[in-house]
Amino acid sequence: MSVSRILAEVKSYGKQYMRNRSAAFFTFAFPVLMILIFGAMFGSGSISKVTVQVQNQDAGQYSQAILDLMNRTTMVTIKMVSPEVDLTDYIKEKSLDVALYIPANFSELISQGTMNATAVIAQLTLYGDPSQSIFGTVASIVGQAVMQLNYNMAHARPLAEMEVKHVAAEGYSMMDYFLPGVVGITVMTNAMYSMTAVCASQRSKGYSKMLATTLLRKDEWLISKFLFYTIMLILSLVLTYVVGSIVFDMHSTLTPMTFLLIAAGAFVFTSLGMLLGTVIKDAESANAVASAIGFPMMFLSGAFFPLEVAPSWLQLISKGIPLTYFNDALRDTMVFGNDMSALTNLAVVGVVGIVVFVLASRLMSWKE
Amino acid sequence: MSMAEAWEITEDEGIVTQAYPRREVKRKLKAIIEVEGLSKHYPPDLKAVDGVSLSIKPGQVFSILGPNGAGKTTAVEILEGLREPTSGKATIFGIDISHDYGKIRKRVGILPQNFEPFENLTPVEALEYWAHLFNMTKTSKDIDALLESVGLGSKKKAMGGKMSGGEKRKLGIAMALINDPELLFLDEPTTGLDPKARRDLWALIQGIKKKGTTVVLTTHYLDEAEKLSDDVAIMNKGKVVARGTPDELIGRYGKETLIVLVGVGQSAVDELARRSIVSHRENGNVVVPVSNPKELRTMFAKLSSIQVEFKDMYTRRQTLEDVFLNLVGQKMDEGVLRG
Repeated sequence: MSVSRILAEVKSYGKQYMRNRSAAFFTFAFPVLMILIFGAMFGSGSISKVTVQVQNQDAGQYSQAILDLMNRTTMVTIKMVSPEVDLTDYIKEKSLDVALYIPANFSELISQGTMNATAVIAQLTLYGDPSQSIFGTVASIVGQAVMQLNYNMAHARPLAEMEVKHVAAEGYSMMDYFLPGVVGITVMTNAMYSMTAVCASQRSKGYSKMLATTLLRKDEWLISKFLFYTIMLILSLVLTYVVGSIVFDMHSTLTPMTFLLIAAGAFVFTSLGMLLGTVIKDAESANAVASAIGFPMMFLSGAFFPLEVAPSWLQLISKGIPLTYFNDALRDTMVFGNDMSALTNLAVVGVVGIVVFVLASRLMSWKE
Repeated sequence: MSMAEAWEITEDEGIVTQAYPRREVKRKLKAIIEVEGLSKHYPPDLKAVDGVSLSIKPGQVFSILGPNGAGKTTAVEILEGLREPTSGKATIFGIDISHDYGKIRKRVGILPQNFEPFENLTPVEALEYWAHLFNMTKTSKDIDALLESVGLGSKKKAMGGKMSGGEKRKLGIAMALINDPELLFLDEPTTGLDPKARRDLWALIQGIKKKGTTVVLTTHYLDEAEKLSDDVAIMNKGKVVARGTPDELIGRYGKETLIVLVGVGQSAVDELARRSIVSHRENGNVVVPVSNPKELRTMFAKLSSIQVEFKDMYTRRQTLEDVFLNLVGQKMDEGVLRG
């Protein structure tokens, strides 16, 4: 193995990469934009109000009590729907994610229930699309309001309540939790998507065949790409972190383990990109193939959505994805400062990286 | 040691003594490339190269001439170590290509077919980079000299993607020369270029030959092969159908002398046919082949007696184009067989 050839490849590829504006944009501007956009959405820590459409067919006091209790949470804006319209048609017509229906006999049934233990229980109906996060939020608020009404009617008071505390160090904001996910996605997209495209374009332009006429070896070529992406991604991470810290007052730490993880991520995802590149015949399909692998990984790794509520088979799949371990390791070290746990996840990423590297360098052909 | 110093050609035997600077041993080689029964078959039944045998002497420009799909590039890519042969044997510098290509690779230069330079590198950057891939470090003086030698002295700072077709090929040749190769493979170096760019590259290839480098050239341009080659192998359908110097090939397969009647058309062909004189049309003229030069005088007399109004008349010897037509039975135009 020749260090001089590897460094020449890093230097030459680096020049070509930085002269390609779209590549430079995706490395540096994309993660910064991501952190700025998500920061603008969630960075303040306050949750904006959700709007819920309510059709109240009941003229009694208890339906009004429910609406008052919902209002008191300060998390909802209630918009009344005329009692004359068919609510299900209205929901379809307006494409509503959530709507609450209070039946005409709601207050009457509650009154009966206070006097007769066997009376029919009054019921509200919450219509909506359970795949939308707003539905879950409104369901929780309405549920809370109903429970409070039951307490009030029973003249009961809660005997236990919950206090929320962040597990990370004092002063951590939502953006601190979000940053590892952004880093994980940036490492994966940059390294894997770029390498898939590079392999395909090298083949279609005949560069691979040209390289095969030199003394450069395939493993040297791959190592040079791994080194290049490690350097680029560390610079990108530092830039994103600095912007995030200045704009959103983030407190998460760039530990030495973080840099080691970036290198491991660059290793596993450049190798994976190269492996994908071995089966792609032309540059046009490179992005499609990388997306077909990259997007499921993004969602199944738990970078943006918690997988605890996902079906068990989906959770099983997520355990087979290197991005899951990579994101977990980043969160371990950057948010929780737990380098021991990060080390375990790093080991998984490293082993997967070695396997994919060996496969890619064996399967990739620069010749026929 | 320069290329010219590395090779000494003895006139009597055509035997070459190469001083190997790295190993300091001297060996005698009759041929720089020896190919025996080389074949490359693709399932189910494509014989891209079918039992090719060749011997290429050092210091020559050796052309492999043939239409598209003849098997030229496949044969050359086997010799470049880019494809595995199905059967047969080949040696370069006396080294078996299937055993230790690593030793050969340092000593050959390759311009692949349809070469495209790196879009975002200048020629200087591309050559510096390429030199490192051969474990060499070139000074800026070396790089400048190489670029000057291929005619790219004024394009040092141009981006590869912004260069013209001819300039790109010149850069490709410069990259192929970066390791001072003893053997240079040029796979269709002038395909798709305009006439001026082609002539520039011909001059460049002749210059490379003068420095003692052996050149293996694949082409489908008959004039190119005739102009540049010391030795030609004509390939068709995976086989070598003829082999020799351009003069030998013309002498062997194109013995006829041609009388060209300028500025006449099909009516002249018809008129000649009525007098039992065989002729054919070619580029707006009518050509009358004469198999024996001694019969030329008689034929001139016959043609003068016929009422055919031609603007001019001259004779020419046959070219490789005629040889190709005689051998393959079809004309070749931009690598495509016609007629």
